Amino acid sequence: MSDYPTFPKWRHNETYLVQTNRKSLIYTAAETYLKPVDPCCPRTVVHPKARIIAEAGPIVIGEGNLIEEQALIINSYPENITPESEVEPKTMTIGMNNVFEVGCVSQALKIGDNNVIESKADVGRNVILTSGCIIGAFCQVNTCEVIPENTVIYGSGCMRRVQTERPQPQTLQLDFLMKILPNYHHLKKTVKAGHNAS
Amino acid sequence: MASLLQPDRVVYLVRGEKRIRAPLSQLYFCRYCSELRSLECVSHEVDSHYCPSCLENMPSAEAKLKKNRCANCFDCPCCMHTLSTRATNIPAPLPDDPTKTAMKKAYYLACGFCRWTSRDVGMADKSVASGGWQEPENPHTQRINKLIEYYQQLAHREKQERDRKKLARRRQCMPLAFSEKYGLGTRLQRQRSGAPISNLAGLSLKEGEDQKEISIEPAPALDEVEPLPEDCYTRPISLPEVTTLRQRLLQPDFQPAGASQLHPRHKHLLMKRSLRCRKCEHNLSKPEFNPTSIKFKIQLVAVSYIPEVRIMSIPNLRFMKESQVLLTLTNPVENITHVTLAACEEEDPDEINSTAKVMVPSKELVLAGKDAAAEYDELAEPQDFQDDPDVVAFRKSNKIGFFIKVIPQKEEDGDVTVSFKIRHDFRNLAAPIKPSEEGGDTPAEAIWLTHHVELSLGPLAP
Repeated sequence: MSDYPTFPKWRHNETYLVQTNRKSLIYTAAETYLKPVDPCCPRTVVHPKARIIAEAGPIVIGEGNLIEEQALIINSYPENITPESEVEPKTMTIGMNNVFEVGCVSQALKIGDNNVIESKADVGRNVILTSGCIIGAFCQVNTCEVIPENTVIYGSGCMRRVQTERPQPQTLQLDFLMKILPNYHHLKKTVKAGHNAS
Repeated sequence: MASLLQPDRVVYLVRGEKRIRAPLSQLYFCRYCSELRSLECVSHEVDSHYCPSCLENMPSAEAKLKKNRCANCFDCPCCMHTLSTRATNIPAPLPDDPTKTAMKKAYYLACGFCRWTSRDVGMADKSVASGGWQEPENPHTQRINKLIEYYQQLAHREKQERDRKKLARRRQCMPLAFSEKYGLGTRLQRQRSGAPISNLAGLSLKEGEDQKEISIEPAPALDEVEPLPEDCYTRPISLPEVTTLRQRLLQPDFQPAGASQLHPRHKHLLMKRSLRCRKCEHNLSKPEFNPTSIKFKIQLVAVSYIPEVRIMSIPNLRFMKESQVLLTLTNPVENITHVTLAACEEEDPDEINSTAKVMVPSKELVLAGKDAAAEYDELAEPQDFQDDPDVVAFRKSNKIGFFIKVIPQKEEDGDVTVSFKIRHDFRNLAAPIKPSEEGGDTPAEAIWLTHHVELSLGPLAP
């Protein structure tokens, strides 16, 4: 726990630029603890107020991801284990070109490529998302299964169907955001050692 | 607490053909009969048809022709959401020079909710943005059309025979049963439930054409039925491929069993309706014709004529112990209203639901008129009403808070319900003012209306 950077008290609109490898812009508000996010997520845009909490193990995020506001990606301890006991840390892996929309909660340990987790969706810890899955808005998926490719989960009853195409990667949006977001948010360079400035 | 403001906490009784209890926001007030009306004691008439997504208006005849469907908009066969047209760029060979390819726009339909696309069913992308999509043909259309024509002719013929019989035997009083078999909805016929097909006679043939005899073949009865496929019991079912009952029955023509045969259908039209009081035949609610407008030409809703009772706060209710409940009364009209409350009598036939005894204030409550400009008028003098502090808790422009005493009588698990009668004066501005003999302007006569109100106060405190 002492690894957490101690952030000074922030004013409301300030964000925090943590520059990692090339072309990665991570704008975070004071609530983002990046312990220890491997410095290998190029072309990923993390919006302000997103929370990526690596409590019980590291989180590896691939490239081209879009993590929107108030999204919560958390690698937490399973419920019935107290933090004191020794648990082997499990790595949470997130692939490429995923979209985590506003307000979603993702605890899935393995997420593949090209998935979309829509607003306020809740993905449990024992779910494994393969590629091309779309978890619809406000759907709660906390079963213990591997979701097959190209599945769409939608509706209040979490109906499922298989779609024929995978969702397209949001390259246009990512480029746009990378240009625009620095204009609208205050940036503060981190003083953290061990990160290379691009 | 917001749950105290839920509409079904306070219900008013409507004395129509049936006794209906409904919140005031769902009731109408006929100011010619001076009575409350609910949706079940008014007659509904169709005003106009419109599509809910493109808001296109359609006259009723055109709507009937298109089977009440919009021509431009589609519904997703999977989740019934509205489909939107999306465009992609595909390389296509130029018509002049087959070797070169240019980017052409291709359109397909997609659903934003369940991500269904028209490519899932195998529908090719179209090059026009709208109007290119065809619904699949129903294989039984011809037979159905022939059957409809035959029955129209039959109905017309029977109607003529009945009319002839009616004229011939006019002296005997014909009961109502001898009117048209597939008749139009006259007022008398509409009131009878279970009226038979009424729209066929509207489309009946004209007089000169009934010479053509249409005959139909009876449907052939088959001895052998198609056998089930052999692997019907052994083949594993892939659930995403099977359509749900709802998806299947929304397309009664085909009722496809596989998801790959679900074609989009045109969107259903909605309609605007107007309401008419059954006793005096005046319109109670008439919306505007334009589908984009939510206003009404005539809007005689009950909340704008009858004072509304609302629950403000409920203390802990205990069995056989008296507690004070705070209610508010709001005056919707612009003149001063006098309201008297009365508890229900012993043998009141309306009082079937109440589980508690109630003591209402015996004095008359005076409500100030609703003044729309009051919030902007700083020089307004505060009105001086002598309020008894035991009865009236507070007073605020046209609203007044008052106490009632409740003694729950039953110690059961359900809600404590309380009912009382509210009597107020109503000035009917709609009725024509009879010229008085003195020649001066007389204000509209006040009549006293009584309503039966029931409140649901929630469960007893544990």
